[in-house]
Amino acid sequence: MNGKTLVVKALQEQGVKYVFGYTGGAIMPIFDEMDRQDSVQFIMSRHEQGAAFMAQGLSRASRSTGERKVGVCISTSGPGAMNLATGIADAYMDSVPVVAITGQVATGVIATDAFQESDVVGVMMPICKQTYMPLGADDVESTMHEAFYVAVTGRGGPVVVDLPKDVQNEEVSNGYNFDSSAFHPNLPGFLYHPTPEREPLQRAMYLINRSERPLVFCGHGVINANAGKLLQQFAEKVNIPIAFTLHGLSAVPADHPLSLGMMGMHGTVEANRAIMEADLLISFGMRFDDRVTGKLNEYARDADVIHVEIDPSEIEKNVATTVAINADVAQTLRAMLDDPMLTYKPRRRWFEKIEEYREVMKADLEAELAKGTGDGGGLLMKSIVHQLSKLTEGKDLIVPDVGQHQMMAARFYNYQTENSWFASGGAGTMGASLPMAIGVKLARPGERVWSICGDGGFQMNMQELGTVMEQQIDIKILLFNNGYLGMVRQWQTLFYDGRYAGTPMQSPDFGLIAQAYDIPYEKVENVKDIQPALQRAMDQKGAVFVEFVCDPTEVILPMIPAGGGFDDMIIKRPSPDKTAKKSGKEK
Amino acid sequence: MKRRTILAFMLDRPGVLNKVSMLIRKKMYNVDTLTVCSSRIEGISRMTITLQEDDERKVNQVIKQLEKFTEVISVKELHADNSYWREVAIVKLEVDGNHLETFRGNYNFEILDQKSEDIHIIQVAGSTRHIDGFLDAVGREYIIEIARTGASAMEK
Repeated sequence: MNGKTLVVKALQEQGVKYVFGYTGGAIMPIFDEMDRQDSVQFIMSRHEQGAAFMAQGLSRASRSTGERKVGVCISTSGPGAMNLATGIADAYMDSVPVVAITGQVATGVIATDAFQESDVVGVMMPICKQTYMPLGADDVESTMHEAFYVAVTGRGGPVVVDLPKDVQNEEVSNGYNFDSSAFHPNLPGFLYHPTPEREPLQRAMYLINRSERPLVFCGHGVINANAGKLLQQFAEKVNIPIAFTLHGLSAVPADHPLSLGMMGMHGTVEANRAIMEADLLISFGMRFDDRVTGKLNEYARDADVIHVEIDPSEIEKNVATTVAINADVAQTLRAMLDDPMLTYKPRRRWFEKIEEYREVMKADLEAELAKGTGDGGGLLMKSIVHQLSKLTEGKDLIVPDVGQHQMMAARFYNYQTENSWFASGGAGTMGASLPMAIGVKLARPGERVWSICGDGGFQMNMQELGTVMEQQIDIKILLFNNGYLGMVRQWQTLFYDGRYAGTPMQSPDFGLIAQAYDIPYEKVENVKDIQPALQRAMDQKGAVFVEFVCDPTEVILPMIPAGGGFDDMIIKRPSPDKTAKKSGKEK
Repeated sequence: MKRRTILAFMLDRPGVLNKVSMLIRKKMYNVDTLTVCSSRIEGISRMTITLQEDDERKVNQVIKQLEKFTEVISVKELHADNSYWREVAIVKLEVDGNHLETFRGNYNFEILDQKSEDIHIIQVAGSTRHIDGFLDAVGREYIIEIARTGASAMEK
């Protein structure tokens, strides 16, 4: 046995079905071995970054299935590994378990600037959960198993295993013996506290019972712990409204009477106003990111904070905590639900207030959705998402890219299926959607997957259409083309006096692109054609590409300006002359 | 700014020092001193880091983020009133032997080598303040070369 056989053996023992990646000089032995053993299916991306996002998609989507999988991506040394980096950093920001295997030059030439050599461990260390470089075949198997263990234990994250080429080929020493079923990594400091302690739990329940204007926060941790149903039961039992972080979406049906929708920079008025007024925040599995809190010293001034979080370093990081519960979200919810101390309260005054907040933007949004076009005459993204939501009854899997259309997809799709929203959030990596959707589809082949992209982000990874074609991946690609980098354009409209620097963008004929990859394509320019085109996309077997000609003047509101407080929330649309203002060069 | 001493125990694996120093940099600190040595238990290292920070919450953040590293076993802050912080300095001095001997009473130092009549290599151990006091007393203008280990610390 040698290094490469042990890598493939470990993948097999970890139940890996798909490996995403791209070959190259320093990783050839492992590719050769994967091909010979034929125990894992290799999916070739067209760029290593794509492979990292495919692996993420698989990990994220499989969390709510019976078989939780860790996405695996593989690349060669140097440029191959460097191309993985963005996808790895993204997985780290969003706590997604991924195992990345990178080839490395032979140990004899490491640190001599050998051909295609990069210090992968050095580069990856600050952007992933753990890095490894086994220096002998004897260490390969235990390293691989430890990598999987670290990736999924506690708060998930990516782990990188850098494998020198000679180690891949090296034979194990005489008497080598490794039993993966009995293996437990020796990591005495790698603690994981899944069970909540009694004392903080009691104090939390006391605060909950006492509160008059409480809110439940649903973060990514709820999805990761598969605890959407528990959270819903909890909120119903105590009668407390729920606000979601970007990654908490789809944990509980979006139209649940207690749901306030998304919070934060582009959150709903009702969620954000309620946070301002709240006397208690009960937050589950979230990290109070700056896009959630806005200006920290103005954030939820009157509220006590109960913070349930698996990663102790997140507690007290941004927001002062009244009660900290360092534990698994699902176990904490179960413990509270089982406790008769927890009581229901009508909280009539609080819900009346929230109903008022719900009305603030309702008429404006309904008018926009009914009209379907913007000031410039192009289609409104929110209206397309809204129609998609109605047509699919909110049951499908949504993989947005990053930008304005992502916020539209977050706000206007009526999520009904638990864990049906897969977005690059923390890192905000444009181009994530198309490859991530491929991974999502492979994890959940029985469900419909929509990759919703803008013209900017799509072109960052559109080479992955090659993978869609080759593997016949059945994903529905919706391209919202407004000829601009829409989110930045929105900021330019609001804060840069309508000077559109670096945002207008010329695009290729996407019809020809789709044709080149043998993917059925259609273009939609009129409101009346949206619904039939989406219906055709649904009915089509296999991949479809639908381009929508969107209005660049559309904005996503409300919006809390970066660094601003919740009082600075913008709810009124900028006037048409402001949105249409052109820069000097653009005539 | 208040001087903080953080004591950490960690697995002796390659890259751990790199991780720790990277975190300190990411948090935008300049390390005052950093010492690493093996602990009583084989395979486990002991690291003492000193840096300047007034804000209690920020120090706690550093500690929690250090603890998050897979290899790190435990981390705590050591407070000046219940721990000893000590370092060693090796100093090459061009100084008259008799002048040096006048500090015997107040400072505990050892002459390691005498190159010529007035070139001495000496070793002095103690708290940072003690060593600074010694150097000031002897006269910093006599120093040719100095090597200090940085603080190592232990709780009472």
